[in-house]
Amino acid sequence: MARAPTQSKQLTSSRAASRPGRTPPARTAFRNVRTTPAAEESSDLLASVEQILSWLGSETLQRAPRFLRDLEAECREKIARAPMELNSYGYDPWGFNTDTACRSMVVTSLIYRYYFRAQTTGIANLPAGRMLLIGNHAGQIALDAAMIATACALEAEPPRIVRGMGEYWLPRLPLLNVAMVRTGSVVGTPKNCVDLLEHGEAVIAFPEGIRGMNKSFTERYRLQEFGYGFMRLALQTDTPIVPVAVIGSEEQAISLGNFKPLARLLSMPAFPLVLNFFPLPTRYHIIFGEPLRFSGDWNDEDRLIGEKVEEVKQSIRTMIDEGLAKRRSIFF
Amino acid sequence: MERLLITGISGGLGRLLARRLAGEYEIHGVDRVPWEGAPREITFHNADLRSRRIEDVFRRERPDAVAHLGFVRHDFDPELRHDVNVVGTKRLLEYCARYEVKRLVILSSSYVYGALAENPFYMDEDTALNVSRHYPEIRDLAEVDTLATAFLWRYPEIATAILRPVNTLGYFAHSSIGSYLRLPYVPTVFGFDPMMQFIHEEDVAEAFVRALERGARGVFNVVGPGAVPLSVAIRETGGTSVPLPETVARRALDRLFRFGLFPVPADAVDFVKFPCTIDGRRFHEATEFRPLFTLEETLLSVRR
Repeated sequence: MARAPTQSKQLTSSRAASRPGRTPPARTAFRNVRTTPAAEESSDLLASVEQILSWLGSETLQRAPRFLRDLEAECREKIARAPMELNSYGYDPWGFNTDTACRSMVVTSLIYRYYFRAQTTGIANLPAGRMLLIGNHAGQIALDAAMIATACALEAEPPRIVRGMGEYWLPRLPLLNVAMVRTGSVVGTPKNCVDLLEHGEAVIAFPEGIRGMNKSFTERYRLQEFGYGFMRLALQTDTPIVPVAVIGSEEQAISLGNFKPLARLLSMPAFPLVLNFFPLPTRYHIIFGEPLRFSGDWNDEDRLIGEKVEEVKQSIRTMIDEGLAKRRSIFF
Repeated sequence: MERLLITGISGGLGRLLARRLAGEYEIHGVDRVPWEGAPREITFHNADLRSRRIEDVFRRERPDAVAHLGFVRHDFDPELRHDVNVVGTKRLLEYCARYEVKRLVILSSSYVYGALAENPFYMDEDTALNVSRHYPEIRDLAEVDTLATAFLWRYPEIATAILRPVNTLGYFAHSSIGSYLRLPYVPTVFGFDPMMQFIHEEDVAEAFVRALERGARGVFNVVGPGAVPLSVAIRETGGTSVPLPETVARRALDRLFRFGLFPVPADAVDFVKFPCTIDGRRFHEATEFRPLFTLEETLLSVRR
């Protein structure tokens, strides 16, 4: 049953007194597990493990090479400046968290700068506010998405956090679902996409989907069939579409083809026969095109939507062709 | 002064609402459990919602408005739960129509949408009531809501509002999520940490007041100040989370629930695994409702 009111009021006041001066930080302020006293008296098992890990992390980070420490500070600063709707605990409504995102951004930035040595052009084309980034998808694992997101966070001004649209089975996997949500991705339902765009976020989508990602090596730089969903969402929310071409991702994995019967047996979306387990260190060229704006009825018949989709596809194809013509070598 | 009938008045939320509105309405309360120390201006009727005596209350008192909060939400007997909630609501709705009540506000819950892996983060009122798909033990939530929605369309002359508040926390309200967060060791599912929205019980009472004042008509999500991951909620309320592998968690929690040691049926484990977060824009637009308590204050209200 309910407790006596006086007693519980006293309890709360004493609780409040025991945690003096707990002022919610500003919207863009950075709440770090290491430095805030939020976890001070908490005996949370997870939190203590996390504390030990982050303590170890900070110890190693202090001994880490200078460039790594600088990179961490840079990521921190970029994320803090990105326009986001954070609450006083450092989370946005979809579960994005600045601390986790910063940690993962350090890793992706290392890959971006030193493994793929990415060269980004046309980043100034990113409009302010909501946008839909549409790119070519390849490479067996979705590193292209991570690299585009890293480019937008590192090179854009102001830095932008790119929101990915995850597969429907992702939220069912332990740990992975948390990692996905904390770094800014969400389950790829149309409703989530519309909400993100209406809140002025940058959403990335690959209309080729699995068809593009798991295509074989011989089909590299050949755009597969585009889905129409993204165009309907863009029309519905009046969002500019930024075409993105990624060059280099298509050679990172050498796939001989897709072994469909085994994929069906394991109920996986595809079972690519890949020669190299680890992606090859190709050089990435990421090209952001001029934003395309479309208008019309989002609920129109497929034929009319398809014409608009073809326009986006054509602009990505042109950018890929130009980029390939300029490229001197796959690796340099 | 208008007459307001509050069902389930002895519950935490019922008391809050009655105290809040004591000066503005002539308040009649109905509950199975007596309310000791009720303010003198409140007339209390000790009756079960399924009994004939409720109709007598309607016949005699002729309430202008009804706030329906009389639900059994944490009884270990699913049949009793279903009976009181569904049959009780059905009867009450009949009397509301027969005795020409002008305004009716019914407490539902955001749980009616169910916790599904692919739930979007902002579910609006038109989302399917998926709770009935996976959780037979809390199916009555969806049934009550559906009954109320049918009533809403059938009697357009009665301003019916169905409120679906998110996880309610507070000193008085006896919510399952409140009892769960008050546990010293809080079992969670390993590898899952969904975003959860919280609202203070005073804000739920405030939502009822708003809906009554404005004569709001429709189904409304009621959201609080925001969302945090479950792990943050456990940390901020002073508990220790104990992550268990899913199969273990389900079995262990089921046993504990049967013995009355755990406040939530095992079917509800999905609610600490997947998000069930909703969009409260429609209610804000209809009544200009805004939560008065911050996220910190809301979580502190169940701090151990």
